[in-house]
Order: sequence, then structure tokens, then C-alpha cells
Amino acid sequence: MRRVEHVMGFPVSLRIDDEEVPAALADEVYAWLREVDERFSPFKPDSEVSRLDRGEIGPGEVSADLAEVLDLCEEYRLATGGAFDARRPGEGFDPCAVVKGWSVQRAADLLTAAGVRRFCLNAGGDVVVAGGPWRVGIRHPEHADQLCAVLEITDGAVATSGRYERGDHIVDGRTGRPATGLLSVTVVAATLTEADTAATAAFAMGAEGVAWAAGREGCEVFAVDAERRVLRTERVPVA
Amino acid sequence: MKRALPVLALTIAGLVPVWRYAPSLGTAHTAEAAPPASAPSSSSSPGSSSGSASSGSSSSGSSTQAVAGSSEPIALGGFTAGTLRVEVTFEGEKMTAVKLLEQPPPSPQTTEAVPKLIEQTLQAQSADIDTVSGATITSGAYKKSLQAALDAQGA
Repeated sequence: MRRVEHVMGFPVSLRIDDEEVPAALADEVYAWLREVDERFSPFKPDSEVSRLDRGEIGPGEVSADLAEVLDLCEEYRLATGGAFDARRPGEGFDPCAVVKGWSVQRAADLLTAAGVRRFCLNAGGDVVVAGGPWRVGIRHPEHADQLCAVLEITDGAVATSGRYERGDHIVDGRTGRPATGLLSVTVVAATLTEADTAATAAFAMGAEGVAWAAGREGCEVFAVDAERRVLRTERVPVA
Repeated sequence: MKRALPVLALTIAGLVPVWRYAPSLGTAHTAEAAPPASAPSSSSSPGSSSGSASSGSSSSGSSTQAVAGSSEPIALGGFTAGTLRVEVTFEGEKMTAVKLLEQPPPSPQTTEAVPKLIEQTLQAQSADIDTVSGATITSGAYKKSLQAALDAQGA
């Protein structure tokens, strides 16, 4: 079973190889992601995030889900010395970097909880797989139709940050300037919550972000720096 | 009347492997704290004694007694693990407090390892894959992407 839908402005591709799949399961996955968009988008005036940002609800009144997202934002802000920061001077609170990985991991958890054994969920380039081996290519940062590595993953998540798709959208919170030290950084971790946020945070840190992400427990890293050098951890599962 | 039994400061060999526990160590030790045998009999007189077995000194005004165990380094699997000294306070038969007097220096196993990074040259390749990880693609750019081609393959 394969399906592609666009949610939150990016394509979400779902492939399930199990023979028997509950009919409504894929619907549930996409419904959850659309719900997340409604609740957590800073671009929608009625979202919980926008209401929190305008002070209409207090930090103590947020839903359990948003409280979890806020905790994650704070955890990574502290872990990166402020390079990763969902609150920037002059701009509203934007937790997108955390929400994406967190919500797609939740979607993958829905599949696992429903008994699905072998699936591949790709949300705009961030990947969660189960029941592999799965061959996950890492897009070449300079050639859209080429890869710079192929990973083999059985169960886990792969996320990549870069500026070749959306430009300078990741800012180093310490300087307020766009992060340019890396062309791309890919993190492999047990969950997409960790892989995606760690990849974004490492990208925000620049060159020093590679060693930072490599030092995080359970993270393997494959990065391309501004000089086009590959820096990777020993145990990144290159196929 | 509250009976304050003497306090014993011990070198607890068995605790050292626990303290320095690392899954790769592969050794198991059982902590066997010595009974406060060397402790003087408890005193019910006001201002019970306090002291240390190693120094033998005592002072008044304290309701506890400290008896320090030996502080010989503990050999563990061929290397010296260091010394961990704790002061244990008993009231009756209950252990009521454990105070750290001396701890071993950090070992390689408790120090976070600096990850080793491998440096390579950037290569471009095409290969047989199931999916692509990349910077978040826009819905507009998706149509011409590798992932779109993969999705179309299996559809």
C-alpha cells in the first residue's frame, strides 16, 4: 500500500508492505498530521501556538501535547547553548522544527500500535522506517537527482537539514544570522523526534554542530561541510 | 529515649563497581557492608560519643559516631578502581544516612567519550533505494524529486 498526501506544506509518503492493513489506518495517519497543522502552526491565527504567542492562553494552560513540544524546544535550546531557539527576537514563537519530527514520529507510532510490521514513512525528507532492511538515500546537497550516501536502516529514523530546498531558513540563535557552516547534516536516531530536532539544531550550530550531534546518545551523523567535506560517525549505517 | 547507635564510616568495596558501573565492565560484585562490629556500644548517656576508627578521636556534642574503614584502593579487573568512602548512620537497626566522604576519580567509563569523526570526500552517486532523506522539500519541488519518482514506481 502506498499513498502520498501534502500536509503542512510538504509531501508525506507512506508505504506499508504488510499484506493486511486496517482500512482506516492510513486515513488516521494523515488526519493526525492535519490536526497537528491546525493546532501547532504559527501561520494559522487560531492555532494553539498562535494563541499562546498572543498571550490568550498562558504557558500553564496549554494542552499536554503542546507542553511536550515546549519542553522539547527548551531541552534543545539548552543543549545547543541557544543556537537552536524557537523564540527569536522580533519574531513570533515558531516550534515548527520540533513539531515536524515529533508529530511524524507520533504518526509512525500509530502504525506500530496498530500492528504494522513493515513500513516507510517519509515526511518531506524526514524518514521513519520499521521492519527493514530499508535503503535510505541521502540527497546530495548540490545535485537534486543524486545521492551522497545510502544508509541501511532496519528500525529507526533519518532526518536531514540543509538550505538547498528552502534557503536560509535555519538561524543560529546565538548570532541571529542564517546558519551557513554546513551544506547538510543527516542524523540517524531511534526516533524522528530526536533525529529531526538534532539535525536542525546541529545545522543551526554550523561546523561545530557535527561533533555536537555525534556526541548525543544514540545519534549517528553524516554531514557535508561548507568545504564539501564529508564528516561522519564511525557507526553511521552506510550500506 | 532515642537510641543513637554508633555510626560507621566504611570503605565499601562492593559499591565501587556500582558507582563506576558500565555495561561493558561485565563484572558483578555484591556489596557486603560490614556490621558496625568495631563500633563502641551505644551510649544512652547525654552527649554520646563520636569518632573515627582510623583516628580514634571523639568529640562530644554529637549523637553519632564515625568509624572509618580502611581506605585501601580496590583492585578491579586488573586496574585500580580507587576508593569510595562513605559514612553510614544507624539508628537502632535502621540506616538513616549515608554521607560521601571520598569518591574515586572519574574513570574512562564514566567520562563521556568524544565521538570519532571520519572525514571523506563528497561523492555523487545514484543507487537502488527505497526512500530519500533530504532537507525539507516543498510540495512544489516534490514533483521533480527522486522521492516522487520512487513513489510513482510503486504506485
